[in-house]
Amino acid sequence: MNENLTGQDWRIRLYIYQFFVAHGRPPSHDEAAQHLRLDPAEARAAYHRLHDHHTLFLEPGTNAIRMANPLSAVPTDFRVYVGAMAYWANCAWDSLGIPAMLGADARIEATLAHSSEAVSYTVKNGVLQADPFLVHFSLPFARWYDNLLHT
Amino acid sequence: MLLFRSEDEADAWCAARAEPRGEMLSLDTVWALSQAWYGNRLSPSYRGRTLEEARRVFTGVGLNSPFWQS
Repeated sequence: MNENLTGQDWRIRLYIYQFFVAHGRPPSHDEAAQHLRLDPAEARAAYHRLHDHHTLFLEPGTNAIRMANPLSAVPTDFRVYVGAMAYWANCAWDSLGIPAMLGADARIEATLAHSSEAVSYTVKNGVLQADPFLVHFSLPFARWYDNLLHT
Repeated sequence: MLLFRSEDEADAWCAARAEPRGEMLSLDTVWALSQAWYGNRLSPSYRGRTLEEARRVFTGVGLNSPFWQS
């Protein structure tokens, strides 16, 4: 998978993730270009290649990162607190994807879909502590990339 | 992927919105899936995963139904 991405594309992707983790928001392509000493047009093209290969997801019609799974650039029903940082997760799965990715303890504040009840759960020393919640995966894996905003 | 307290709540939510009813996983299973799926996401050597690698992640946490096949 992703044979068409270059080594530079992957370096840009890693920088995006590192920046997102450090700042709680994704970098613009200009910020990536400046940090990696690239032409902004080159960074912008890399952002779109990464999007085309499902490595991140751009806001439709823009150069702005909407998702770098499990991180979301926009508010959601899933807020993840890790140390002094707070992140938005794209979904219930990604709310646990953030502590999994960081290898860190986390407290998640979430809203249940049907009742709008505010709930919380934690990961501590690799152990999940939560009520017996259920996560609904609406689409089968074969269709996940049809529409990531829906999935 | 949304969070519910019960299958009944998920059924009602899907029916009210004419949303497809997919599969429900316990949060414990999703935590296991998260660790397998996202654990290497910050590695400098991460290069995505093939469909076969994705399938192995799913089967590794007990997700064997056609829903998890590519």
